[in-house]
Amino acid sequence: MADIIDDLKLKLKDKISVLYSDPKEPVVALADKTAIKPVASIISKSFDILFMLVVVDRAPKFELNYLFSRYSDDKTITLRVVVDEKDYAIDSICSVFDSANWEEREAYDLFGIKFTGHPDMRRILLPEDWPGFPLRKDFKVTDEIRNWTGLDLKF
Amino acid sequence: MAEESDFQIGSFSYPGLADVFLTRAQKFIDYVLDWGRKNSLWPLTFGTSCCAIEMMTFGATKVDADRMGTLFMADSPRLSDLILVSGTITKKMARRLLNMYEQMLYPKYVIAVGACNVSGGLYHDSYNTIEGVDRIIPVDVYIPGCPPRPEQFMDAVRVLQRLIKENETKVQKYGRYY
Repeated sequence: MADIIDDLKLKLKDKISVLYSDPKEPVVALADKTAIKPVASIISKSFDILFMLVVVDRAPKFELNYLFSRYSDDKTITLRVVVDEKDYAIDSICSVFDSANWEEREAYDLFGIKFTGHPDMRRILLPEDWPGFPLRKDFKVTDEIRNWTGLDLKF
Repeated sequence: MAEESDFQIGSFSYPGLADVFLTRAQKFIDYVLDWGRKNSLWPLTFGTSCCAIEMMTFGATKVDADRMGTLFMADSPRLSDLILVSGTITKKMARRLLNMYEQMLYPKYVIAVGACNVSGGLYHDSYNTIEGVDRIIPVDVYIPGCPPRPEQFMDAVRVLQRLIKENETKVQKYGRYY
């Protein structure tokens, strides 16, 4: 586990910082969000899957937690990236980890974070023409949303 | 149209013996058809969450749906008369539910099962659920409960049978294109 953190520190010197250095499940913060793809490819050498993508709304910024795991000794590593309110966009790591496909679609669906370079950037849970992003803190259930049925029929 | 002359202004005529006989015959045929319909309701199971488990119990041995003619045999909306909407209907599911409802043949009856389908229930004022399935399709009988007991399903079917007998269901009152 220490070797992967050392490897990351060696390659991206000041961009990376270790927040929580438990040997079983360390948390690593990435300062520059444009470096997500090279970091993911470094991690993919020793970790097998991205098993969870957690988005935390720290308004107005969003905090993305990528949780990677490997099968051999069941260890996890958490990569924390902050997306700011300028464009809510980050590079997709879909080409590195295949399981990022649906996780990123879900993050787009519920929080409206755009993943550039994603092969299929559609909503995954809600209807495609649904207005708004419901898990954001500033989301309010208005009458428009309350009465929205997706049908153009009135009984 | 042979009857067209009867509806002209100024040429009103009392119904003849043939009309009286035809009306009586129509009423008798309706009575027989309604009797048949109410005693052989084939439900379409539309189970999306926990109410579906109770619906299965309703069809199973202890609370036997078959003895009221409610046979869980139709595996297609085109064979069924009754749709048991059991479970939360999300906004994405609304279009699918309407597709199922539109494929059923006339006459069709709807039972809304559970608090979610009556008024939104636990998911009231949520962003993703239909608050009451009567926003989409006309409902004849509501079953409250979260989820309701299987006996309440039996009660609802008996209420629906009474409504069919008394010409009080939505499809009988308001016609095919309600």
